[in-house]
Amino acid sequence: MALTDRVTRTGGLTATPSSSALKRRRRGAETRAGYAFLAPWLLGFLALTAGPMLASLYLAFTDYNLFSAPEWIGLDNFRTLLEDPRFAQSAKVTVIYALVGTPVKLVAALAVAMLLNNARRGQGFYRSVFYAPSLIGASVSIAIVWKAMFIDRGIIDQIGQNFGFEAGGWVGNPSMTMPMFVLLATWQFGAPMVIFLAGLKQIPAELYEASSVDGAGPVRKFFSITLPMLSPVLFFNLLLETINSFQVFASAFIISGGTGGPAGSTLFYTLYLYMRGFVDFRMGYASAMAWVLVVVVGLLTLIFFRTSRYWVHYSGEAK
Amino acid sequence: MKRFTLKSMGVAAAAALVLTACSGDADDTDSGEAYDPEAPVTLTFTWWGNDDRAERYNEAIALFEEEHENITIQGTFVDWDGYWTGRSTEAAGRSLPDVMQFDLSYMREYSENQHLLDLSPYLGEQIDTSGFDDALIESGAIEGVQVGLPTSTNTLALFYNPNLLEQTGVEPPSDDYTWEDFNDLIAEATEAGEQTGDGEPIYGGGDYTGTFWFFLQWLVQEGKTPFNDDGSFGFTEEDMAAFLELAAPLRDEDLVYPVDRGIQLLPLGGFTVNESATEISWDNFLAGYVADSGTEDIQMMPIPTGSSGEKAMFFKPSMLLAAGANTEHPEAAATFIDFLLNEPEVGRIFGTSKGVPAVQAQRDAMELEEGSVDATVVEYEEAVAEHVTEPVPVPVKGFGSIEAEYKRLAEELAYESITVDEFVELWFTEAEMATQ
Repeated sequence: MALTDRVTRTGGLTATPSSSALKRRRRGAETRAGYAFLAPWLLGFLALTAGPMLASLYLAFTDYNLFSAPEWIGLDNFRTLLEDPRFAQSAKVTVIYALVGTPVKLVAALAVAMLLNNARRGQGFYRSVFYAPSLIGASVSIAIVWKAMFIDRGIIDQIGQNFGFEAGGWVGNPSMTMPMFVLLATWQFGAPMVIFLAGLKQIPAELYEASSVDGAGPVRKFFSITLPMLSPVLFFNLLLETINSFQVFASAFIISGGTGGPAGSTLFYTLYLYMRGFVDFRMGYASAMAWVLVVVVGLLTLIFFRTSRYWVHYSGEAK
Repeated sequence: MKRFTLKSMGVAAAAALVLTACSGDADDTDSGEAYDPEAPVTLTFTWWGNDDRAERYNEAIALFEEEHENITIQGTFVDWDGYWTGRSTEAAGRSLPDVMQFDLSYMREYSENQHLLDLSPYLGEQIDTSGFDDALIESGAIEGVQVGLPTSTNTLALFYNPNLLEQTGVEPPSDDYTWEDFNDLIAEATEAGEQTGDGEPIYGGGDYTGTFWFFLQWLVQEGKTPFNDDGSFGFTEEDMAAFLELAAPLRDEDLVYPVDRGIQLLPLGGFTVNESATEISWDNFLAGYVADSGTEDIQMMPIPTGSSGEKAMFFKPSMLLAAGANTEHPEAAATFIDFLLNEPEVGRIFGTSKGVPAVQAQRDAMELEEGSVDATVVEYEEAVAEHVTEPVPVPVKGFGSIEAEYKRLAEELAYESITVDEFVELWFTEAEMATQ
């Protein structure tokens, strides 16, 4: 928006002041050029994102099994959702994961970012090393490796046995699968870490110097300077990671073999949605679930933005 | 500026990340020209199975292409679950493969919506049916439409590992054993407290009530018809609860193979890692069991006798071959199907790994060495023929879903997160939606 404004203004400056018609024509040409440059993305967005989204909105109100034509059933899908015990289970699993996984991951990301920020040498190297898991973390192969590590007689089980824990594999134990997934998410702290690191670098050193003069210790500095100065970045990371955590799919699919087991303990919302759509062929129901997720995530985002003014501090802003 | 950027990035991310969708594209279909058997044609062909099956199919395909130089087969394969996801997506886009390995469970859904080619015009033309039993041809037809032809037949069997049983000091059952006798055998073998070489406890067997087909088999033994012609169920909540309760004493005492270990061994299982002494399954699993467990000595015997005193077994037509209704080359597809069904050499390549071949010529072509896997399976089907007295239950629409639901609930039952009554209630609620 800001960019277009400036471009238009420069265009206005070079144009002859009297000929407003010419100006208008030129502006039209610029708009067309703008759309032309936008076209590759816009076409993709319309055809691959907006179109299917609209289609799924329609399907959410139908009974559609992929084979025969969708049949309008109004709000029936949503009514069934309310009575579906698996829907409740999948919502529970996902909310627990978001509530536990997101803070743990952000704390890890911030901790590593602060350590790296202090490093004098090899910062680029360490940054890349710590970021690496995030590059490969969402992949199928890592989910397979994770499963192999946490399985019965796997490496984690064996290490545990050396310390006297006879817990068996985490993969087959319904109460241990959630910690396993939180660990997997935490391990991929790279993306928020890099953003935190950038945020940390922007905090003026004078603030720390001034506080040192006043005798503030590291803890005081962290809570009085680092956190408030970092709050916009924290807000951004929190929002992004929360949304991400509602969408965990691949790892759950691989580790549970696409079933959400054991005993429904890894039945993440998106996995259940997928099962309804592509295992049971109930596309209408799955679409309804997708739109419930859209609305919930939308509401969460709204809440985040509404409450942000109470805890997010923007430098240069009058308070 | 910073505030603006972060906020707008947040909004964009929220919007973009929430929804993703899959898209498929359908091929244009044009047909109507007269069939030219010499015209170059490429057929897509897909099946479910493991690497072993893929090797066998590739060998068969190479042979076919040698005989029919104008036809090229593009084969792909995937495991069972992924297979049906793929097919349903293709069906929605009317772009099913030309030829597919197919299963009874999904036949009704696909045929009701005209996704499968009616093969009747090609019977006796491209497809030679002279080697087929009439009942077997009939098993691939739904309401007069020949949607598939079975490659082979399967029936259920009890597999046991004689070495493990011997270690636990338990005798293999006699032929007329009942479900209760089977329970006792599992309990005794587990209670013997023996261990494998790796120090893992040996179990007598798994919880056999967790498989939907075993429930159907048990219903047939009880004289019930699982599915009526109108698509309704021939069994009640009480029937299902009664079957699940059969193994309740074993579950309560933790005498069956533990579910948490079983889950983590997938795709193997307690039986194939030689920690469980018995398993009921389809008889064509023998080849896989021998390969996975590394144990040559696996014995087969008929399943337990029902309360009526009969085993009331059935032959399930399996590994059907079907063609997508959208195929542009129905005649070539039929030619390939005929080859897989009738060519003796194909029978030799597959042995009994897909079940006992439906056609005698393929059965004869198998190299049956005394004591080999193929010989054992063929002998087994011949030996149990006297017990095979019932027709196979014809799956209703939505069978794939209700079978999968049964499996999921059985897992929860094994973890004791639901009771038998909850199992039955949840299953019937789900089944009502899936089969309507």
